[in-house]
Amino acid sequence: MTTLISSLRTTLAGYINYRGREGHYSFLLHRLTGLGTLLFLAIHIVDTATVYWIPELYDHAIAIYRLPIFLVGEIGLVFAVIYHGVNGLRIIYQDMVNPASWTIARQRRAARWTLILSVIIWLPAALIMLNTLLAHL
Amino acid sequence: MEVTLRVFRYNTETGRTKPSFDSWTLTDVDPTDRVLDLLEFVKGYHDGTLSFRRSCAHGVCGSDAMRINGRNYLACKVLVRDLNSTTITVEPIMGLKVMKDLIVDMEPFFESYRSVLPYMINDEVPADGKERLQSEAQRERFDDTTKCILCAACTTSCPSFWGDGKYVGPATIVNAHRFIFDSRDQAAGERLEILNEQGGVWRCRTAFNCTEACPREIHITQAIAEVKQAINTGKVD
Repeated sequence: MTTLISSLRTTLAGYINYRGREGHYSFLLHRLTGLGTLLFLAIHIVDTATVYWIPELYDHAIAIYRLPIFLVGEIGLVFAVIYHGVNGLRIIYQDMVNPASWTIARQRRAARWTLILSVIIWLPAALIMLNTLLAHL
Repeated sequence: MEVTLRVFRYNTETGRTKPSFDSWTLTDVDPTDRVLDLLEFVKGYHDGTLSFRRSCAHGVCGSDAMRINGRNYLACKVLVRDLNSTTITVEPIMGLKVMKDLIVDMEPFFESYRSVLPYMINDEVPADGKERLQSEAQRERFDDTTKCILCAACTTSCPSFWGDGKYVGPATIVNAHRFIFDSRDQAAGERLEILNEQGGVWRCRTAFNCTEACPREIHITQAIAEVKQAINTGKVD
């Protein structure tokens, strides 16, 4: 247990304090977006399951999803899914198809372009969702 | 120029059991001084108890890997001007137990290194009875990974290693790569089996800190990817 806590402490300290380059931050963003998506999926599976077990709770859950704060969260969720997917494809390409692309210059460029591409894909969806959100207010 | 040097301190022998930092303001620092020069100066003129590893002091032995301004370097290779800061913070490398000040316990690192059989294995007698010939292309195949000096700058910059001490780490994989792709060696299969285990290559999350930190400019993430491919395809070429 002590070892677990100690390595968790080192990990979190490293995530925050280690001054890595693009790769470090793309790794962190990949992990955060992955965990965020996983958390949403877990909650979503539970609330969908209530349709069968406790229907009135399901209606309550859907009402919560329509609160503005959750709509903002959904816009973030879309970014999380897109970034995690695009970055995942980049890693698959570099790691499984073209290992020679793991040079410092190409990796830095690829990490930056992955973020830019993710934002470009995300923006139209975000604007549409923001529009819906504003209409609800 | 004037530089503030902040150094991590921890020493059970002197009762400094709580990690803390000591600072020294150093005047007359030349921008081309190395961080190791500053540490040597402090040890020589300010505090003889300051402990750190150094041996050759020329980037060959790999003794003085440290976290300098948050990033792993060899203290003997990084110049003050390269850090673009007048405050230099020096800490021990992460993921290995701190023994004293900047000295960490390297044994888990070397234990992991030994686990992949980092030596030539070939029991056959060479065709001419004297030497095992190799083409230039065959030698070139693993040239990059022969450069490793086992400083641990890569392994201790790796988020997977911080989180799981059982992960063999980048340096071990680099040294396995050096023999896996050597045409004269006959134990590639054995090494690939070891690296296919839970603490092997699949713990690599391609964060790329290792390649950025390597003072020998080894393409570490590429080497790890090549080992992954060799495991997947069963081919070493």
